[in-house]
Amino acid sequence: MLTLSKKGPKALVVAIVTALGISGAISLGVTSPASAAQTLNIGISADMDKLDPHTSTNFATVRILGLVYSELVESTPDLKIVPGLAKSWYWNSDSTQLDMYMRPGVKFQDGTPFTAADAKASLERILLPATGAASRGNLSLVTSITANRTQLTIKFSAPNAPFLAALDGVNMAMLSKKDIDAGLIGKKVNGTGPFKFTSWSPGTSVKLASNADYFKGAPAVAGLNFQIIPAESSILSALNAGTIDFSYIGNPAVAKQVGSNLVMQKTSSLSYHVLQLNARVAPFNNINVRLAIACAIDRQAVVDSAALGEGAPTGPLTMPAYRSSLKARPCATGDVTQAKKYLAAGGYPNGITIDVMTEGGEYALATPIALSVQSQLAKAGIKMNIQALDAATYIPKWLAGDFGAAVANNGGKVDPDTMYTRYFTSTGNLNKVAGYSSSTLDALFLKGKSTGNVTRRAAVYTSITKELETQAVWVWLFTPYDYYVSSKSLSGFTPNPNGSLLELRNVKLS
Amino acid sequence: MSILRNRITTKLLTVASTLFGISVFVFVVLRVVPGDTISSSFGIETSALTPEKIASLKAYFGIDKSLLGQYWAWLSGFVSGNFGLSYHTGVPVTSLTLHSFPVTLELALLATLFGVTVGTMLGFYSASQPGGRRDFVGQIFGLLALSLPSFVLSTAIIAVSANKLHYFPNGFEYAPPWVNLGLNLQQMLYPAIVLGIAVAAPVMRTARSSFIEVQDKDFIRTAIGKGVNSRRVRFVHVLRNALNPIVTMTGIQFGYLLGGAVIVEQIFALPGMGRQILDGITKREYATVQSTVLVVAITFVLINLMTDFIYQKVDPRIR
Repeated sequence: MLTLSKKGPKALVVAIVTALGISGAISLGVTSPASAAQTLNIGISADMDKLDPHTSTNFATVRILGLVYSELVESTPDLKIVPGLAKSWYWNSDSTQLDMYMRPGVKFQDGTPFTAADAKASLERILLPATGAASRGNLSLVTSITANRTQLTIKFSAPNAPFLAALDGVNMAMLSKKDIDAGLIGKKVNGTGPFKFTSWSPGTSVKLASNADYFKGAPAVAGLNFQIIPAESSILSALNAGTIDFSYIGNPAVAKQVGSNLVMQKTSSLSYHVLQLNARVAPFNNINVRLAIACAIDRQAVVDSAALGEGAPTGPLTMPAYRSSLKARPCATGDVTQAKKYLAAGGYPNGITIDVMTEGGEYALATPIALSVQSQLAKAGIKMNIQALDAATYIPKWLAGDFGAAVANNGGKVDPDTMYTRYFTSTGNLNKVAGYSSSTLDALFLKGKSTGNVTRRAAVYTSITKELETQAVWVWLFTPYDYYVSSKSLSGFTPNPNGSLLELRNVKLS
Repeated sequence: MSILRNRITTKLLTVASTLFGISVFVFVVLRVVPGDTISSSFGIETSALTPEKIASLKAYFGIDKSLLGQYWAWLSGFVSGNFGLSYHTGVPVTSLTLHSFPVTLELALLATLFGVTVGTMLGFYSASQPGGRRDFVGQIFGLLALSLPSFVLSTAIIAVSANKLHYFPNGFEYAPPWVNLGLNLQQMLYPAIVLGIAVAAPVMRTARSSFIEVQDKDFIRTAIGKGVNSRRVRFVHVLRNALNPIVTMTGIQFGYLLGGAVIVEQIFALPGMGRQILDGITKREYATVQSTVLVVAITFVLINLMTDFIYQKVDPRIR
């Protein structure tokens, strides 16, 4: 028998230590990479997907381009609409004409002055069907747009009270007419926002530099360096190690691990988690089945189990100004007995089996929510099969209304009209997804659009909420929190419930 | 001479048919699953697109042609070095691959180097006392390394390093070696160890069996009987004759690392080919997925050819 000498294990240990030591020695000789002073390093879990602000619906793209482009109005962290590129505006008496006055002295990042002609060209680009603009529906009542040097006049076919709120967001960004005419949108990034676009290395980083000519004052930091770190747990590690200064986190399980060495700001999001029921597909075309499902689910229990208690049960409207009382909804806290009664009334006294599709990938809470709902429905005799799909498979099925039920995380808006008209009116572009429409809802949404008075509008949307919940059109579950985590050297950031990072224009690094 | 020519011809035909099969398989699978580049690009706003816009987008993305037309357009482009366009980023896939391939190649090389060194030495160590204490230690390592998922080990390493030692080089933007070698090697350190441990386990098991088999051969006993120095017996006679299965295992493991390091690349934020394929699948970017998978397949095949070549070098009996 051949044997190794006693040097064998030592040699092994020496080899491993040497291998580690080589890297260790290198690490001793290297500090952090050279970067310009005061540049803010931000970790993001997903990359941008395009450079056209009008057509992108990707969260990362919207957030990053929102720092480069500006809009005619902007929303504050408490969701008030304030002047952006338009310094003032006036409605006519019946809210069918809006005159907006452009802020003077504003320049695009290539030095071209911003005028009302640029605003007109931008809105017309959004209106053009060939653009495929994400917010084209916001301009559905527009009949004409005219511009002189500083004045923009927009006329509507009917009163359009929510229009100002619809102008907010990077999907309504103001672009240079010169760039639009030259077909450069999506290829050249040229906005009027607080930061200039410097570079994009797909899968690695996006770099922005401070815009010294920004019309609300140049940012205090020299620039922003977005580093793509796909795993949120790795983002938190990078924050702990001090290699990045700021990030936003969506997964409450990761947010719970943030320690006292970091600063975390938590804000209730406008987005919401929902169990969508397609009322055009059996058995969900049976109102008793929908009500049984709505009654069987205790929303707070879903929050507690799926989101570790991080979230708040919600009805359809998530913006503070229009939130309705949750006590008014059928089976407000879940009622299994009542659910069974509805099921029996619907013709299923012995229970029923339903299929629910969920989206995997970046939607981290989809499966925990589905599992929580599944266990609650089982108590009422509803067997729920979960169909877990990847995002690229889920979205086309969702768009085509090719599902019976789906767990979804839908984005919210500042105004209920822009948030739900596209879903729940019979001509809405997402009505197929909503799976439900009625003449009652059509009339109510029209009334909400034409009502300027805030109190009267709130009453209209309370009626809409009631209609949606008594018909159990969908089962709204809860609004999540957004978590903004930063090092203690960063100050001045105020989160916005709409997810915008625009307030990074005010941050300072000590 | 004709036997050699036949062997080369057979090998080339096998390689070509393998690559063709892979290219067809990936092409078909991508088109069978629901969703396309348009729906992944426009998301929920796809429903707002007019039929004219959808038609023009299909033409732009090249998915308006017949399936055969699409396949031919892509394959002929690939052969001429044009891997297609990543429509989301506006960057040619060739350019994306030129950035991601070196990342994955470097990671795979370092992981293999680490794994083969540790695996071979542990195999040697185990085989020196079959059934004894050393063997037990080696077997336990092999079992642990095989059963420990890479994401668990990655997360544990990061948790200790970043949270306790405040050291996490992967939190910096990825640095290619020609830009900042020091930072690059730091960023490769943890992922190479994680993947290397996964490589070390099968290499260790293969090496152990091979060493045990060879060291019982007659020619080893003869060498010992002739009074050859025991060190020379171990490192020249046993090691060299036991290398063949280790080389085979190394080649296979290296091939897996090229396409299978997705999770580790995600956790350690390395923009390699695994991530490129994953992003391509998520966004239904057909050209990105097809071209990147084919690059991985070609590399795999080349590694196998190299392995065959190395066999002949280390074992004259195969020549």
